[in-house]
Amino acid sequence: MKVKATASPYLLWMALFIIIPLGLVAYFSVTDRLGNFSLENYRASLAYSPVIFNSIWLAIIATVICLILAYPLAYNFSRKSANHQRTLILLIMLPMWMNFLLRTYAWMTLLENNGLINRFFGLFGLGPFEMINTSGAVVLGMVYNYLPFMILPLYSVMTKIDHSLIEAAQDLGCNSIQVLKNVIIPLSMPGVTTGVTMVFVPAVSTFVISRMLGGGSNMLIGDLIEMQFLGNAYNPNLGSALSMVLMVIILICMALTNMFEGVEEKEGMLL
Amino acid sequence: MHKNTLISLKNISVEFDGEKILNGINLDINDKEFVTLLGPSGCGKTTTLRIIGGFIDPDQGDVFFDGVRLNGVPPYKRHINTVFQRYALFPHLNVYENIEFGLKINKKLPESERKALVKEMLALVNLKGFELRKVTQLSGGQQQRVAIARALVNHPRVLLLDEPLGALDLKLRKEMQIELKRIQQRLNITFIYVTHDQEEALTMSDRVIVMKDGNILQIGSPTDIYNEPVNAFVADFIGESNILDGIMHEDYLVEFAGKKLECVDFGFAKKEAVDVVIRPEDWKISASEQGQFSAIVDSIIFKGVHWEIIAKHDDLSFMIHTTQKYEVGTSIGMSVVPEDIHIMHKMPPEGDSKQEEEA
Amino acid sequence: MSKWLSRSYIGLVLTFLYAPIFVLILYSFNQSKSRGHWTGFSLRWYEKLFHNDAILNAFMTTLLVAVIASVIATVLGTAAAIGIHNMRKRSRTAIMNITYLPVINPEIVMGVSLMLLFVLMGIKFGLITLILAHITFNLPYVILSVMPKLRQMDHYLFEAAMDLGCTPLQAFMKVTLPEIMPGIVTGFLMAFTFSLDDFNISYFVSGDKFQTLPILIYSMTRKRVSPEINALSAIIFIVVLLVLILVNINDVRREKELRKKEDALR
Repeated sequence: MKVKATASPYLLWMALFIIIPLGLVAYFSVTDRLGNFSLENYRASLAYSPVIFNSIWLAIIATVICLILAYPLAYNFSRKSANHQRTLILLIMLPMWMNFLLRTYAWMTLLENNGLINRFFGLFGLGPFEMINTSGAVVLGMVYNYLPFMILPLYSVMTKIDHSLIEAAQDLGCNSIQVLKNVIIPLSMPGVTTGVTMVFVPAVSTFVISRMLGGGSNMLIGDLIEMQFLGNAYNPNLGSALSMVLMVIILICMALTNMFEGVEEKEGMLL
Repeated sequence: MHKNTLISLKNISVEFDGEKILNGINLDINDKEFVTLLGPSGCGKTTTLRIIGGFIDPDQGDVFFDGVRLNGVPPYKRHINTVFQRYALFPHLNVYENIEFGLKINKKLPESERKALVKEMLALVNLKGFELRKVTQLSGGQQQRVAIARALVNHPRVLLLDEPLGALDLKLRKEMQIELKRIQQRLNITFIYVTHDQEEALTMSDRVIVMKDGNILQIGSPTDIYNEPVNAFVADFIGESNILDGIMHEDYLVEFAGKKLECVDFGFAKKEAVDVVIRPEDWKISASEQGQFSAIVDSIIFKGVHWEIIAKHDDLSFMIHTTQKYEVGTSIGMSVVPEDIHIMHKMPPEGDSKQEEEA
Repeated sequence: MSKWLSRSYIGLVLTFLYAPIFVLILYSFNQSKSRGHWTGFSLRWYEKLFHNDAILNAFMTTLLVAVIASVIATVLGTAAAIGIHNMRKRSRTAIMNITYLPVINPEIVMGVSLMLLFVLMGIKFGLITLILAHITFNLPYVILSVMPKLRQMDHYLFEAAMDLGCTPLQAFMKVTLPEIMPGIVTGFLMAFTFSLDDFNISYFVSGDKFQTLPILIYSMTRKRVSPEINALSAIIFIVVLLVLILVNINDVRREKELRKKEDALR
């Protein structure tokens, strides 16, 4: 039975609720409030370039920290016994099942000026340190929320690396560092690119983490967009233009990570 | 120790999860020899190979390489390379890069020399022109050749091969057997080969080591092992055999299948129960009344170069290989000359060969 | 040495992940309203939580939206996966690329784009818009979990069933459906949990009257001090923990039984 028609309701649905809405965003971004064609929204977006660059910068820092934290962890996990792996992965996933608002709220409690961490420092006569409402707190919130998104793809790629490949590399003269450099890192690149995308995309577009941990002073592009649609600044045209900018940023990020993966392959082909 | 001895295993024991994998084996392997570790799965042959390769450290016993104790030396510091069971080619590298891998890691050879060595290896394994192919796009036989080239390019003194032909089809396997032997003779280095395929072992090896349940049963040249197996298990494992219960009445006189026959074996206890092994091709068929035994043809199958007959004599079945065809139900006579009757001590009970046969 | 190092590293990361949650749970039993100050054990926040109509209402809304949206998405998505699976490679690739779009696209963009659509269509924000939006972001997850099962399935199975006298519909019900069932269940569970958990998209399409639990939590955190959240977190954490442990125990038990059966057959 080669039935294709069962896909039609879905295709219709996607056209109506994915394609058309995105088309609307594109349309709103190039019109003014009266519906006339205008590039004013993009010009206005330029004024917010510090916020945009701040978003990109903080998201990059968070992604890099996640990668550095997750890589050795995932490798470690992948070399453990099956039972251990199952438990550890469960432990990593468990916090993900709690709503991220609650997880972020937990850090508010800890970082506040009279929060637990400052109280602890207070015992030694230190502080209070200004931790909440800083860009550091925003990055911390991103790392905390999205670290599992980096660990899981890395782990799943690394468990698929056949142990005999590692033995083969040792057999051909690699010590542990050379095994890492010549076999494990190149073979785990697909996991790295997936992990980077899965952390960078939500990090660069968040508006909750910045609002809860960054206070008013650490606006991100997500906050700007939210304000244009639900805030006092109500301006869906500008909001749409900013959304387009956000999508372009993400496309560039993905193109870059894909290119990185592609270069490895191309180098192999050149010889 | 033999003066040519390159690798020497002394009293090696290995346990995994409380299960004995190797029971104190002793083994000397000579320089420039093609040695095969042969046995059914779980006999400890791969473990032995991995101990030599450095991937497992024995719980007890010592490994010597050229007289130097090798225990605890990691694989990357041994002059030994391995062809892995499923080849273990690096999927992110092409054929050239796979072969070059060890050269890049080990020595600071200039690019041009590396290139020359890789080219030489590609020629050796007949893969010229495949340099830029992805290894994932190669056939099983080609992957096999890359794996061999990748190991040999480092000029190891010993090449370990772990069932390298297991994944290939029959015709390719035969070709590769000949080719491996050619490569070994050409390079003049030691090959240690692991297989469960007795034909492969007999075809290629200078010496065969038959293993079972973590013990070495017999070490010898292929003809020794085939003609003079030490027990019924080895006899059965190396080629097809008729294994019969017998009694050794005195030196040179054995009784089996209700007949007392002359044989060439001696030195057994009086009336000792023994295994009598007769190769199917050693039976001579004659007219019914002229043979030592008379039997009825129960089934006959054409095997390509010969007919395989199962003949019944009382309750016993005999396997006979012959070039002549007999109809089912024909009465035939069967004879065997004393030299082809092989008498063996019964195996100790835990190594019951009959059970092994059925498994 | 390296074993010790790796263990303490794992411990450190796990502490980082769990410490904030445990602090939250600890303070749910705190007498005082203050977040940093421990004044004594009490269950008053739990009591308050269970008498808070807003929270209970939001919980019911969340559950309702999640059930309806995930059921519809599962049906639509499974049908779509079967249809897409039967397409030629080029149209299949094209459609799968569109399917990936909502997965990759930032949630906030999806939220605002749907908001624009609903405004233009004149649909009042509320239960309907919430359900429509949730179906939309759930669909790809159902398709992405059903498709691999279809691909893994031996396509001769279907023909074998017809050969043995099934009509196409019977063959589908008796052979294809049971084969892809694990994928459908996974897809449904994923859709259901994403629905329960979603904030970023719901926030833009919910309007003022219908609050899902995450939206309510957000508005509570804006008020800065609301210890009921601590109690709520503790309850959610315990529930999730129990569910995961149960699922895992069940998995392990099933595996053991399977192994026993295999041993018995050997």
